Amino acid sequence: MFCICLWVFPFASVQVLVGNAGVGKTCLVRRFTQGLFPPGQGATIGVDFMIKTVEVGNEKVKLQIWDTAGQERFRSITQSYYRSAHALILVYDISCQPTFDCLPDWLREIEEYASSKVLRVLVGNKIDRDDREIPTQVGEEFAERHNMYFLETSAKESDNVERLFMQIADDLMKQARMTNAQRYDPSHYNVEPTTTDSGCCSRLN
Amino acid sequence: MSSKENSYLEIEQLCQQELEKLQLEEETLLADLNGMLNQKTYIEDKIRGLSRLIPTLKIMKNEAQDLVETINDISESSEKISSKIRQLDSARGHGDECLLRVNDLIDLEICSQGVQQAILDLDYEKGAAHVHRFLSMDQTLLKRTANDMNNVSNMLNSVRTLQEAANQLQAIVEHKFNEAVNAEDLAAIERFFKIFPLLGMHEQGLKNFCTFLRTKLALTAEKNLKVAVTTPLADKRHPIIYADTMILLFEGLARVIETHQPLFETYYGPGRLISAVNILQKECDTQVKRIIMEWSKTRQIQKKIQQINEMSRMTSSGSFNKLEKIDPKDLDILIGEISLMHYRCELYIKFIERKIAADIDVGIADQEQRTKTTKTLEQLILNSELSQCKHDLLSHYLKLEQYFMEESVAKAVNMDQLEPSFQTSSLVDDTFFIVRKSIRRSISTGSLDGICVTINNACRVLENDFCDVIKARLKQGYPSGYLDLTQAYNVLQNSIQQGRLQSGDTEQSRTSFIVALNNADNSTKYVNALVDSIMKETEGACPNLNATEKGKLESCLSGISGVSVKLSEILDYGFQQLKSTVIKPRVNPWVDQFLNFSHQLTEDELSAYEAGESFIQILIMNLETLLSSFKDILTANNYENFIKVLTTEVTQRFEKVIMKSQFNRLGGLVLDKDVRSLAGYITSGTYWSARDQFARLTQIATILNFEQIDEINEYWGNSDGAITWRLSPSEIKSILNLRSDFRSDDIKRLRL
Ligand SMILES: Nc1nc2c(ncn2[C@@H]2O[C@H](COP(=O)(O)OP(=O)(O)OP(=O)(O)O)[C@@H](O)[C@H]2O)c(=O)[nH]1
Ligand SMILES: [Mg+2]
Repeated sequence: MFCICLWVFPFASVQVLVGNAGVGKTCLVRRFTQGLFPPGQGATIGVDFMIKTVEVGNEKVKLQIWDTAGQERFRSITQSYYRSAHALILVYDISCQPTFDCLPDWLREIEEYASSKVLRVLVGNKIDRDDREIPTQVGEEFAERHNMYFLETSAKESDNVERLFMQIADDLMKQARMTNAQRYDPSHYNVEPTTTDSGCCSRLN
Repeated sequence: MSSKENSYLEIEQLCQQELEKLQLEEETLLADLNGMLNQKTYIEDKIRGLSRLIPTLKIMKNEAQDLVETINDISESSEKISSKIRQLDSARGHGDECLLRVNDLIDLEICSQGVQQAILDLDYEKGAAHVHRFLSMDQTLLKRTANDMNNVSNMLNSVRTLQEAANQLQAIVEHKFNEAVNAEDLAAIERFFKIFPLLGMHEQGLKNFCTFLRTKLALTAEKNLKVAVTTPLADKRHPIIYADTMILLFEGLARVIETHQPLFETYYGPGRLISAVNILQKECDTQVKRIIMEWSKTRQIQKKIQQINEMSRMTSSGSFNKLEKIDPKDLDILIGEISLMHYRCELYIKFIERKIAADIDVGIADQEQRTKTTKTLEQLILNSELSQCKHDLLSHYLKLEQYFMEESVAKAVNMDQLEPSFQTSSLVDDTFFIVRKSIRRSISTGSLDGICVTINNACRVLENDFCDVIKARLKQGYPSGYLDLTQAYNVLQNSIQQGRLQSGDTEQSRTSFIVALNNADNSTKYVNALVDSIMKETEGACPNLNATEKGKLESCLSGISGVSVKLSEILDYGFQQLKSTVIKPRVNPWVDQFLNFSHQLTEDELSAYEAGESFIQILIMNLETLLSSFKDILTANNYENFIKVLTTEVTQRFEKVIMKSQFNRLGGLVLDKDVRSLAGYITSGTYWSARDQFARLTQIATILNFEQIDEINEYWGNSDGAITWRLSPSEIKSILNLRSDFRSDDIKRLRL
């Protein structure tokens, strides 16, 4: 009772990848977690689950990565994972216009099922291909309009993949530290809410 | 002269010394000689012994030389022998080959003569046996033989005859097999099925035979489906009739595979089951699809799913819900049927995988071939209509199960009932019953994904729909009740003005608050039990989870712990409410009474104080009344926490009033007694140790009870009586200052 919930390090952060079938979600995850580009990667069934522990500023962070299936038939499975996500990675294929056109639908799903505080990242994958259909600028603008981070990657050539996940780990860590500091501070425990409290919050926002 | 004499004397002396040295040397030499003499006999004995050995040594040398020669001879001859053996081996190889070629030639002759006759006699087994023998001959060897022979044309003739016969037989057998199928002549079907492999038509034979099996399976399946469709509503099996139809199909397929596998293995060799199953799977796919279509039509799946989707869209957009809601109860049976259907698909797929994997294991030795076949198996299952149907079933299942859970919990919330003699309401039991039921059902689908998603959904329902309801009830607050008559009057006036004075209004709000608090506490227990049981049951239902799958499950389960955290936050919130509306307003005036008493007592006043109703007796009596009004209505945990909060409040307030008072020796004595009896009262009431909460207060009383200032030294630093102080040195000094009989200079001088 009266347990003060402490965020214990190493803490686990949950990341969920979403996006149309075939945009390369699984390849991105495998490139990051196993350092390889799997030949003949089959479509994901339901969700896959992977864990990788990384170090962010001397502290170990356990990344839990949920790689969802893009196919419509698995939607009722994948949707249930949005809620517990700390970060959502929305992936499209820069050489395939329809995967970009579907982004608003994905955003609607995210609105409906994910927490409002979730960190959202837009990723244009397969930049190694020379049949690009979506210019970088278009992706960038879309991300900006919807308040998301933006990055272009290639799972095949390992471009920006490490950076993508590490950046997210870094950001989540910073977020966690701030919530943590708030929770730890013993002066907040006994003292009734005062103006200093709200001051602290506004600083956060 | 004298000098000369002197020199003589010197010489004499020198000589004397020399002489003595020589004598000494002589003595040692003599001793040495004696020693040698003594050893002489011993050494002579040894020499004699050695000389006797010499002839023997000579013999040995000769023998050793002989031995070396013999060994050389042996090695030479063995070298010769092994080369002979090698020659012999290759000669025998040639011999064997010759024999084989001769045998082949003889057989070739026999076969070519026999095969025609056999065909004429309609003895296809015999004919096929000849062809089989012909096919088993090493064809390159045959060619070589032909080149070595004089009578080439004769042999080539035989080969040609046999090749023609083989073609002829292949056509005949294929034709005959089809005839037998048309005539449904099972004996004939089996007869020709066994002949195919002899003619080297393994794949063709399997294909023909399994196609035949397919037609039989199709017939049975059609019949079964018809029965299902026409099953009357009243039938006991009606609610799960399609799951039944499915199992009939799978059982039929499994039986066909089980009974024919030995035949395939005997006549076609191991490792060919995958070809057979590949064909049978097509029928399985067709039939499963038909069953699902029929099921979906009868049970109106699409309509229900659509209705649910629309409803969730309406509630999420907040628009008024005109749609007729589906009663979750009405879905219960349907959901059960789907989970059963899914489970049966899963079981059948596992069955095929196991069967074929075992067949590949014994039948295919080549590693590369094996990997390739295993890959084919994966693709066969992955791309089968059966798998697709299974995914769709799971998808339907999850949609409906989610709806069922959400709506049933909503119903439980709406129908929440207080049962008079219970500390909790029906909401908790009902909600956890529903959640547990849904999760159990998901475990029965046999799909880990299904289990994980249902757990995720349960977390959401519990955290949002359930916890929020409890929190909302606590937010309405606990009416503090009338502390005195004026307050009661004011409340009454307010209620009349607002026109909402109902009998038992406050009472009801209070009960509602307390029950919500108890609900939160009970839910914590339920949550923990839920996690345990899911873990166990899943391990029972899916025993062979690998590390990743376990991680997946555990990660989803950890979401339920999030519910625990939320519940304890809710409890926290509730107790803060109780503290400010119930505890503080009562406890503070009670403790403040302390200020109305003098704590600088004479002996007479002390006796009078102890004889009358003391401050502490009244305080304890008041606390007793307060506690007893909560004891039976709170759960054990909550009651314990209530005491804890109360104790904190009492001790903190008590400290404050002490710091505002002045004491003499007797006043300190009384205080010390008072604190002891208060601590005694509270700690005796619970098994929870409140002693720690009294630590500061007890130490304050101890200090005020000192006879002299320097008594502090007995408790301080490294002395024997030293204690762990909860008071800082400056606090101790200001407490000592409360004693009117202690001189502040002495206190200042204390070194702490
Ligand atoms: N050229 C190129 N091809 C890629 C890249 N990433 C993935 N692919 C290819 O895209 C195809 C699909 O990749 P997946 O990772 O399976 O796609 P997915 O998003 O996981 O698909 P679902 O699981 O069906 O949702 C594969 O054939 C990959 O080889 C990339 O960076 N460059
Ligand atoms: Mg994938």
